[in-house]
Amino acid sequence: MTTATKGEARRVVPGQPDMWAFVLFEGLVFTSYFAVYVVRRTLSHDLFLQSQAHLDLRVGVFNTLVLLVSSWSVARSVQAAREGAYRRALAHLWTTMLFGLVFLVSKVHEWAGAIAEGFGFTADEFFSFYYFLTGIHFLHLLIGFVFLGVAARELASPARRSQELVETCATYWHTIDFLWVLIFALLYVMR
Amino acid sequence: MTHHDDKRELWIGWWTLVVFYNLYGLLFFVIARTQPPPSPSLDAAAIAEWFDARRYGLLYGYAIVSIVGGATAIMNAMLACSIRRMSVSRAFAYSYLVIYALATLPGMLIMGVACTVGAMRPDRDPALLHWLYDFAFLSFEGTMGVFLIGSLVWMAAVLLDRNGVFPKWFGYLNLCNALTEVVVAPAWIFKRGVFAWDGAIAWWINMAVFVTYTTVFLTLLRRMIEREDFGTGPLPALATGRARELAGTPGAVR
Repeated sequence: MTTATKGEARRVVPGQPDMWAFVLFEGLVFTSYFAVYVVRRTLSHDLFLQSQAHLDLRVGVFNTLVLLVSSWSVARSVQAAREGAYRRALAHLWTTMLFGLVFLVSKVHEWAGAIAEGFGFTADEFFSFYYFLTGIHFLHLLIGFVFLGVAARELASPARRSQELVETCATYWHTIDFLWVLIFALLYVMR
Repeated sequence: MTHHDDKRELWIGWWTLVVFYNLYGLLFFVIARTQPPPSPSLDAAAIAEWFDARRYGLLYGYAIVSIVGGATAIMNAMLACSIRRMSVSRAFAYSYLVIYALATLPGMLIMGVACTVGAMRPDRDPALLHWLYDFAFLSFEGTMGVFLIGSLVWMAAVLLDRNGVFPKWFGYLNLCNALTEVVVAPAWIFKRGVFAWDGAIAWWINMAVFVTYTTVFLTLLRRMIEREDFGTGPLPALATGRARELAGTPGAVR
């Protein structure tokens, strides 16, 4: 999303500034989780590497691409809403939801596969972090559907259509996408 | 509320909140020394030593907890009052009251009784002390669901409110607090590590968020009382200059 354009010179950020307070605070909380993960990983480097080898990098890349597309789609929705093309905005929002749903299904499938192979939540420290970080992110994504629902409600009725609210909801969705990229890098890529 | 220009009751409630939270910290962290929590992986002999090392702290500390525990009623009423001031259904305030009244049991009283029972007879079988230790700390952890739902109720009320009682960012901060309560759940499974009840994630990060959240809502409640006009419409906005003046002079709230 771009920031203030001509007619919106006074707006510093897209959507409610309140949501950006959430982004900042939640960013700090996740940073602390990541810091704990990195410290524990450094202390048990070999074990983490061994367990990490059981994750399928291709699934991680697929999940990341799916969420990036959903993020792109919600940005297109905001842009369409700014132009007053509400039907198009709504269509982009449905696309966002669809990709969000694909991510959820893919994640559950991945968890089920890992558990079937004997790598559950308590299998070892790496897998505890894996389920914890992906699980708490999953929860954020579920809440994201509530935000997308609110945005859809705004776009659907000419009586509402608050651009600020649509952008607020999109900001939340971008945040969970951003957090996923970091989780992906830490769990699947970092060696 | 029908009377005007009388904030005394609200200030009494607010100061009760401030005193209670400080006392709670003092009793649990300094006198009883049950927080930060010890490791769940201690064996029976180490747990017997743990009880022995803080015997009088537990006895005196939790005796005071049982005396002042009732103050939570005033505290909860204060928070419910803030919700009643919002343009949302009364169901929010009622839910909040009921769920936080429940929090007093696992978060304070049950834990206090279990620790006191362990401390009052030093010659008790270590196996029984082990049992009481687990019971006490799991009970304390058990408040997570209460704070989770309570925070979500408050979040929904703040975000739906049109009276501007609290800023919207506080609604989102409630969501952050609720999500860190979820993170405590693995403490029911792990006996050691970052997810155990004394772990970096399940306790330290959660506590850092909770302390920030509590400080914020105490400040916002104070601002709400400063602006309160006891009418039924939107709260009067606090002028920026006046807000700065009040923030710089703590005595102004009395």
